[in-house]
Amino acid sequence: MIVSCALFDPRRWWRDLTGVWADTRLIVIIAQIAAIYAAILIPFKAGIPLIPGFVELRPANAIPIVASLLFGPAAAWGSGIGNIIGDCFGTLGPASVFGFLGNFFFGYFPYLMWGHLGWLSSGRPPMVKSWRQGLEYGLICVVASGVCAGIIGWGVELLGLLPFLVLAPAIFFNNIVMGLFLGPPLLGFLYPRVQRWHLRYEDILPYLIPRVDSCESSNTPTPNNNSLSLPQEGTNSPLLTCRDFSFSYSRNTTPALHNMTFTIAVGEFVMLLGRSGSGKSTLCYACNGLIPQMIPGKFSGKVHVCGNDTQTFPVWKGAKYVGLVFQDFETQLIGTTVGAELRHPLEYREVPLSLHEINRRIEQVLSTLGLEVELDRDPLRMSGGQRQRLVMASVLVQEPRVLILDEPSSDLDPASRKRLQLTLEELKSKGLSVLMTEQDHGDFQLVDRVILLDEGRVIWDGQPNALLANPELMRQGGIRPLPITECFEDFDCEPLPLTLEQAWAYSEKLQLMVDPPAEVLNDTVRFGIPVFPRENQIAPIIQVEDVSFGYDEFPVLQDIYCDIYPGEFLALVGANGSGKSTLARLLNGLLVPTDGRILVDGLDTLTTSMKEMARRVGLVFQNPDHQIFADTVWEEVAFGAKNLGCSQEEIGDRVQQSLKAVGLPFEEKSDLDPFSLRKGERQRVAVASILATQPTVLIFDEPTTGLDASETDRMMGMIRELHREGHTIVMITHSMSLVAAHAQRCLLMAKGEIIGDGSPRDIFRDSVLVRRASLEVPAIPQFSQRWGYTLLTVNEVKASLRAKVL
Amino acid sequence: MTVSLYVNRKTWVHQLDGRTKLLMVLGIFVLAMCFSHPGYLLGVLAVVIAGLAVAQAGANVKKIGILAALLVCYSIVLWPFFVNGKTPVLGLQLLGVTWEGCVFGLGMGMRLLIMVWGGVWLLSTTTIEELAQASQRLGLASRVGFVFSLAFRWVGVLLGAGIGVIQAQRARGLDLSSGNILERISRYVPLIVPLIGHTLRQTNLVAMALECKGFHPIASRSFYHREKLKRRDYAVLCFLGIALGMGAWLKWQGIGTLNIRF
Repeated sequence: MIVSCALFDPRRWWRDLTGVWADTRLIVIIAQIAAIYAAILIPFKAGIPLIPGFVELRPANAIPIVASLLFGPAAAWGSGIGNIIGDCFGTLGPASVFGFLGNFFFGYFPYLMWGHLGWLSSGRPPMVKSWRQGLEYGLICVVASGVCAGIIGWGVELLGLLPFLVLAPAIFFNNIVMGLFLGPPLLGFLYPRVQRWHLRYEDILPYLIPRVDSCESSNTPTPNNNSLSLPQEGTNSPLLTCRDFSFSYSRNTTPALHNMTFTIAVGEFVMLLGRSGSGKSTLCYACNGLIPQMIPGKFSGKVHVCGNDTQTFPVWKGAKYVGLVFQDFETQLIGTTVGAELRHPLEYREVPLSLHEINRRIEQVLSTLGLEVELDRDPLRMSGGQRQRLVMASVLVQEPRVLILDEPSSDLDPASRKRLQLTLEELKSKGLSVLMTEQDHGDFQLVDRVILLDEGRVIWDGQPNALLANPELMRQGGIRPLPITECFEDFDCEPLPLTLEQAWAYSEKLQLMVDPPAEVLNDTVRFGIPVFPRENQIAPIIQVEDVSFGYDEFPVLQDIYCDIYPGEFLALVGANGSGKSTLARLLNGLLVPTDGRILVDGLDTLTTSMKEMARRVGLVFQNPDHQIFADTVWEEVAFGAKNLGCSQEEIGDRVQQSLKAVGLPFEEKSDLDPFSLRKGERQRVAVASILATQPTVLIFDEPTTGLDASETDRMMGMIRELHREGHTIVMITHSMSLVAAHAQRCLLMAKGEIIGDGSPRDIFRDSVLVRRASLEVPAIPQFSQRWGYTLLTVNEVKASLRAKVL
Repeated sequence: MTVSLYVNRKTWVHQLDGRTKLLMVLGIFVLAMCFSHPGYLLGVLAVVIAGLAVAQAGANVKKIGILAALLVCYSIVLWPFFVNGKTPVLGLQLLGVTWEGCVFGLGMGMRLLIMVWGGVWLLSTTTIEELAQASQRLGLASRVGFVFSLAFRWVGVLLGAGIGVIQAQRARGLDLSSGNILERISRYVPLIVPLIGHTLRQTNLVAMALECKGFHPIASRSFYHREKLKRRDYAVLCFLGIALGMGAWLKWQGIGTLNIRF
């Protein structure tokens, strides 16, 4: 599509501004810009009393100009709608129309003038990298700000609300200041990344013509609007078939999947198992046509659903037959209420469904999934597990024949996982075909067949028990074998035990017993590091004294007492909502107690500045993407040290040391864009950036969530190394196997209280206590407790298994 | 984080059709534009206050109280400096402030309050989905309504994520409260960038998620709520029609309008 460079070309305006509504991605971008603009605007509007642009400067006003240079006309709509949404928090009225128009042009003029093929464009990316570009940017700031201020000022005076001479200059000044000071760094950061993600307006423009034509598929027929033919009930024809299917992403020469051939029959439950990057999600996307229709690449072979080629029907029409729940299921939540979420997919039908039918489906799916929530409830007020089931419900309400679940349990706590199992059991009993991916073995009880993937190839396809009984094959596929099976790996027996009962029976058969040597049960030393005796010998580094905390009237923590000692490896354990993360934020002063006090190194967190706290306690957040903002890994890691006022030389040293400590080679990684790294590596960058502030205590909030077995091992190895170097470690987790394998001390939390404090061995000895925290004692301690001991790891069991003395 | 102003009640105002509520608010705005005299605007304001009381939306009025008060004060204080009149205010003659200007300022302040509280009334009684549906049934393209409700939902998500971002950067020693204004502005970069970066990174995934749920820009949409207007809707619309008719007649007659020169 050729874009005219004329600034005053009404036809181009019309084409630009209406064309963006024809593509789903651009519609998403419009909504995203609107949401970002409003989200940055609202805190200033609702929290700080001000007249628009008069009393307080608003960082949100840099968004339209930056978005415009990235997304062109989509930014115009996004900025206008974002302004109206901002008005919905207090000032919605006729003036909002002029607010919409002003921001619309504020978000369109920069693109027209300086964007892709714009009037002032030199053809280079619109970033401020030279004096000339700076002047050009300044000019577009002045023009766009003037147009915006003029429209709003004129309109508001026309309505008689405020005089033009007061409001327009204030808006103009506000826009100019934010555009000039905040715009260039935002643009400098976002432009290369948006370009890499192929999201610039000029990148999406070619897709405004039918997108399947642009796929590189050698044999891709255009999707048609014919309905699918469903197989007859009772026939043996498979629901889903992959035949010699291979796929390479357009930016990657290495195929993500090679010659995949498999089928899924009616009512079959298949698990696709493999490490991160093995091709599981790629296969999920191919099964409903997202590949290659929305994800271009080199496609060969065939994927059929209900006997129809997935390339021949549009994804949105196939949704009635193939339901897909993404790994990041939050992206699929689009409604502001449960009812809206469930009704939405049923409202996009060629033949509208009757109200009776819509109600029937919603009632049925809610009952199947055991989701007992009101239809007018806001999904944001539901737990993570409930939200996932809501997404599943919104997929199932379309009554698909195949349900595809991409790593559904990776972010769930043990209680939610158990609920998910019940849900899947219910779905299976109703005869639904399920394809589920996982990077850990999880629960195989319902699974009819397992397909093990590695590097895009099938390395195993068969019965789940046969795979579980083969630990070597599982390791080859990057999957952690069952601990109970691993214990007996060295014994010459077939088949290996898979359950506790089998393991106990097997021990009987082999005349084995658990009789641990003294050093195994010696909890004063773990991993060669002495566990410091706590009572009266050394002073605690953190003292939590009768602390309570709540949000508004909702109590989160109640009467917490605990001391944390230097050099400890402490696990803070509990189910979701037990108060672990809140306690962690209290420990480093991000939150302050409503009652009681916390002393860190003798300093009260209530009266100590955040800078001082950052020197003592570092908190590594669960999601590294919530903190990464710099252009390079070096700058990202240096950020904390800079904030603490370190000299350039010292910052350089700290960055180098921190990167080394987290296992990221300085020479190779320091100049890279942190956003280009894999999640595990981004997590390490986040850790390094905390280490650069040289805190004594390191708190990790769920450090292994979403990581596969090898990434988890790498992360835990790094944390252990930091512990060995002398850091006090506090790790928040709900993985009891991690606690058993790594922690020296465990604080068990439930409903805002500490209900257990001791070594993992002490805690696991009391299964009733663990269950009170909605958690389960891992298999290894359970296995050994039959002989009166509580062992923690496979190695401990291996060292303790010996022949019975008769 | 939930950011909607919607108040979940079962009042008869809540049960009005979305179109009725939208037209009602538009009508109130038009009525407010018909008058500039504070006495007449007081009548319109009384209707809005009654509506807020029936809708039990007092909490929302309180929530935006400071902002509304400031806006109204600015309007009342600033307009007299821009309006000509005959009767100077003692002590402020040199600034050109007249009684006519003050009365006009008061009227404009009341008009602003009517508009702000009218918006609050609508948002307190109508969900975003209802608004989107009502807008489409009144002629707005369904895609626009859809984007509006999608963005509205993400605002809550982003505000929640924003708290996480602020905490993550403060944990690395970022101090937003010190330094001059330019330094303070530049410190928003580490807050805004992760928020935008994280959101945009999900663009393709969200687009795929939408199509997986049956959405497509060219797909036609039918709404679940397809109720016809009920008797109460017609009653409210009749009342609105009469009020608008009277407003138009008074405006035509020049009643309730201050004769002001700028």
